[in-house]
Amino acid sequence: MDGAMVTPGRTAGLFAGAAVLRLAIFTLLPKLPDLLTGRVEISTPVTSFKRLQEGLFLYNHNVSPYDGGVYHQAPLFLPLFSLLPDFSSLPIFTYLLYTAADLLSALALWKIADSGEAGSSALFTSPRKGKRWSGFIIAALFLFNPFTVATCLGRSTSVFTTCAILHAIAKAVSGAPFGAMIALSFASYLSMYPLLLLPPLILLSYDRQRPERATKSGLKFAATCASVVAGVLAVLFQMSSLVTGSWEFLPSTYGVQLTLSDLTPNVGLWWYFFVEMFDSFRSFFLAVFWLHLASYVGGLTMRIRRQPLVVLTLLMGIFGIFKPYPSISDTSLFLALVPLYRHVFPLMRYTFVIAAVILYASFLGPAFYHLWIYAGSGNANFFYAITLVWGLGQSLLVCDLMFAVLRDEWEVERPEMVGKEIRQI
Amino acid sequence: MPRLLASALQLRRDPRILKLPPYLSLLCILVGVAWLFLLPLDQYSRRTYISENALLPGQVHTYFGGSDQNVFRAYKHEVKELIGQTNTEINDRLDPLLKGLGLKTARQNFTYHAAGHTYAGENLYAILQAPRGDATEAIVLVAAWENVRHEINRNGVPLALTLLRYFKRWSLWSKDIILLLTPDSIAGPQAWVDAYHDAHDPSRVSSLPVKSGLLQGAIALDYAQESRFDSVHIVYDGVNGQLPNLDLINSVNHIASGQMGIGVALQEMWQHNNGYRDRLRTMLRGMLRQGFGLASGAHSSFIPYHVDAVTLRPFGDGWQDEMAMGRVVEGTFRSLNNLLEHLHQSFFFYLLMQRDRFVSIGTYLPSAMLVAANFTIMAIALWVKSGQPTEGTTTTPATKNTTPATTAERDLFVPLGVVALIHALSIVPLYV
Repeated sequence: MDGAMVTPGRTAGLFAGAAVLRLAIFTLLPKLPDLLTGRVEISTPVTSFKRLQEGLFLYNHNVSPYDGGVYHQAPLFLPLFSLLPDFSSLPIFTYLLYTAADLLSALALWKIADSGEAGSSALFTSPRKGKRWSGFIIAALFLFNPFTVATCLGRSTSVFTTCAILHAIAKAVSGAPFGAMIALSFASYLSMYPLLLLPPLILLSYDRQRPERATKSGLKFAATCASVVAGVLAVLFQMSSLVTGSWEFLPSTYGVQLTLSDLTPNVGLWWYFFVEMFDSFRSFFLAVFWLHLASYVGGLTMRIRRQPLVVLTLLMGIFGIFKPYPSISDTSLFLALVPLYRHVFPLMRYTFVIAAVILYASFLGPAFYHLWIYAGSGNANFFYAITLVWGLGQSLLVCDLMFAVLRDEWEVERPEMVGKEIRQI
Repeated sequence: MPRLLASALQLRRDPRILKLPPYLSLLCILVGVAWLFLLPLDQYSRRTYISENALLPGQVHTYFGGSDQNVFRAYKHEVKELIGQTNTEINDRLDPLLKGLGLKTARQNFTYHAAGHTYAGENLYAILQAPRGDATEAIVLVAAWENVRHEINRNGVPLALTLLRYFKRWSLWSKDIILLLTPDSIAGPQAWVDAYHDAHDPSRVSSLPVKSGLLQGAIALDYAQESRFDSVHIVYDGVNGQLPNLDLINSVNHIASGQMGIGVALQEMWQHNNGYRDRLRTMLRGMLRQGFGLASGAHSSFIPYHVDAVTLRPFGDGWQDEMAMGRVVEGTFRSLNNLLEHLHQSFFFYLLMQRDRFVSIGTYLPSAMLVAANFTIMAIALWVKSGQPTEGTTTTPATKNTTPATTAERDLFVPLGVVALIHALSIVPLYV
C-alpha cells in the first residue's frame, strides 16, 4: 500500500474517476443533490446552497441580498455565481465548479502528503516516518469519502472554504508563506473561523521557509504574515462593500456566526443549548462558547510546537465539533488530514471504538431526524442525543490522535520507554 | 486511587480478561431474552389509559341506527350489483351516489411498479365539508373494495356510504370528513396519501384535484364478513413497523368494549384469556409484524405521514349487527372531532399484549439493548484478539513488563469490501 509506483496515468485516472462519480450522480440522479441540499447535516445556515440561490436572486434584482435575513454567506459569492449561467436552466456549470473545487482540494492534499511534513517537520523527525501513505492514497481517501461526496453533491459553500484551507497548508509546506497567508485570508473571508488557524499556520510557514530567502526573526516573520492577512482581508471587505453597496454584510455574515441568531438544527452542540437558554444568559454563554473554541488554538500551538501540521489537523477536528454551525463537511476535512499520520496509527488505542461510534452516529442521525421532523414520534432530544454521540466520536478521534502524536514525540525523548505501558492523566 | 488505577491497568493485560467476553456476551443474551419473557407479567406491563383529555371517548350518545338500517340495506344492494365489475365501472356508479349526498367528489388514477409487480387502479374520494370548521383539518374514513386477504369488502363499503350520509345530517363536525374508496388495501391508499401530501411521482400517480386540511386521523373499515359479529379486531401496524399513537387504539377500545359492549382483539388473537401465554403470544406476534414492516391494512400507508390510523375488522359469530359497527365508527369520529391538536400525548413506541395492557419503550428497550450489546462486546473482543501478534508470545503472568504494547497490523481492505458489497446488494430486491 505504499503506492510508490504512481504514474501520471493513475493520477489522471483518480481525478477523472472522482469527477465522473460526482457528475454521474448529478446527471443520473437529479433529485439526490436537492435532497442532500435540504439535509441539516450538510447545509447549515452559513453554507446552504438554497440560501445562496435566494441571495443570488435578490442580488440580481438589485435588492440587498441580506434583506430578509436568509442569506448569511460572503458577498463575493454573488458575483461569482452570477457569472455562471442560470442554475435552473444550465446547472452543469455549477456542478463543474463544485467538482473542480473538490479536485483542487485533493491536489493540495496530495502536495501536503508528498512533502512528508507529517512525518518529519523542521524540529522533529518521527522514528516511524517510513510507514506512510502516498499522496495518491490520501487524495483517493478524500475524494471517495462519502462525507466529501455528499458535501459536494449538496453544493454546500463550505467546499470552497475547505479548498482554501488545504491550499493554505499546501503553500505553507512548500515554502510559500505569502501564498499561504493569502489562501488563509480567503478561507477566513468565506467562513471566518479559519482565522483561528493563523498562529499554527504562521509557525508552519516559518519552519518550512526556503533557506535562500528565510527571515530569521520569528517576530518579524509573524508580523509580516499577520499584516498580509489583514491587508488581503481589508481588500476583500472593501470589494464586498463595493459589490453590495454597504457594510451591511458584516453583521449578516460574521455577526450571525458570532451571535448564533439562526438556530436551525445542525450536527453541532450549540443550537440546542441556545434554544433552551434564557435570554439573559445568552451573551454570557456566547462568550463562553467562543472562548472555549478559541482557547484550543494557543494551547495546542504551544504544546505541539515542533509539529505545526499536527496542530492544524487537531484544530480542524475541534472546529468540526465545537464551531457554531458545523456540518459533515468539516468532518470530511478533518478525516482528509488524519491519514497523513499513518505512521502513528499503531499507537492509537481506540480506532475500533471511534470507527464504530462514527458509523453508528452517521446511520442513526438521519433516522432520528426523521423521527423528530417527519414521523413526529420523536422529539428534538432524539436528534440532539445523536449529535452528542457524533461529537463524542470525533472528540475521541482528536484525543486519540493527539495521544499517539505525543507518545511518538515522547519515545524519542525517552528511548528506554519504547513499548512500555503508560498512563494518561 | 492511583494504586487502584494502576492495578486496573495491570488487570487489562491479564490473559484471563480476554476469555471473559464470550461469557459476558452470552449473559447479555440470556438476560435480554429473560427480560422479554417477564414483560407480560402484571408487574412489568401497565394498564392502558387515555392520555389526551380532549378525546373523551365514549362520552357521547351515538344515534346511528333506526332508519339508517334501511339506507344501509339499499346501499348494500347497490354494492352487490357491482361485484365483479371493473374498478372504473364501480367508481362510475358510486360517484353519483356520493354526489347525490351533496359531497364534493374526485378521482385519482395510479400505476405503481414495485418489486416486479404493477399496481394500477382508480381511487374515488368524497369530502364532507365541516359545518363548524374551516377546512384546515380532516378525518379520513377508508373503505377499500378488497381487503388485504382479497375478500370483497361487502359490508364495509355500504356501511361507509351510510355513515357518510348520516354524518352529513349532523351540524357538529369541526373537521372535514373524507371518505376514501380504494380498489385495494395497499396500493390505493398509498397513492392517495402520497398525493395528498404532494410526495408522489406525477408521472405514475395523478395529483388530487380536491383537498382538505391536515389529516388528524384515519379509520379503515374491513368488514367482509356477511353474518353478524361478536368482536372487533383492531389492526394497527404501519409500514416499516411504525405505530399509531396509543391514544387512538385506546379510544376505539374504550368505545367498543366500554360503551358498546363489543369485544376487542389484537394481532389475530381471536381467543384471549388474559393469561400469561396469550399475552406473550400477542406481544410476540406484534413484534414479528413490526419486524417484517409490511403493510397490514388500508390504514398502514397513513402512519408514515404522521396520520394516526387503524383498521377495524369485525369477526366472530355473535349478535352485533352492522349498526353497532357504525356506532363504533361514529363514536371514534366524535372523539377525533374533539381534538384540539394532533395526537401527541400518548406513546408511539409500545408493545400491546392485550386490549388494555401494554409495555412502553422504557420497559422493553433494555431487553433489546442487551441483546444488541452482545454483538458489540464480541466485536470488540475479536478486534482486540486480531490485533495481538501471532508469533507465539505466551508470556507468563509472572514476568510483568514483557507484554508488548504494540498491536499487529490488520489488513482491513478485504473484510470492509465484503461488508460494503453485501450491504450494497440489499438494493436489488427493490427492483427485481
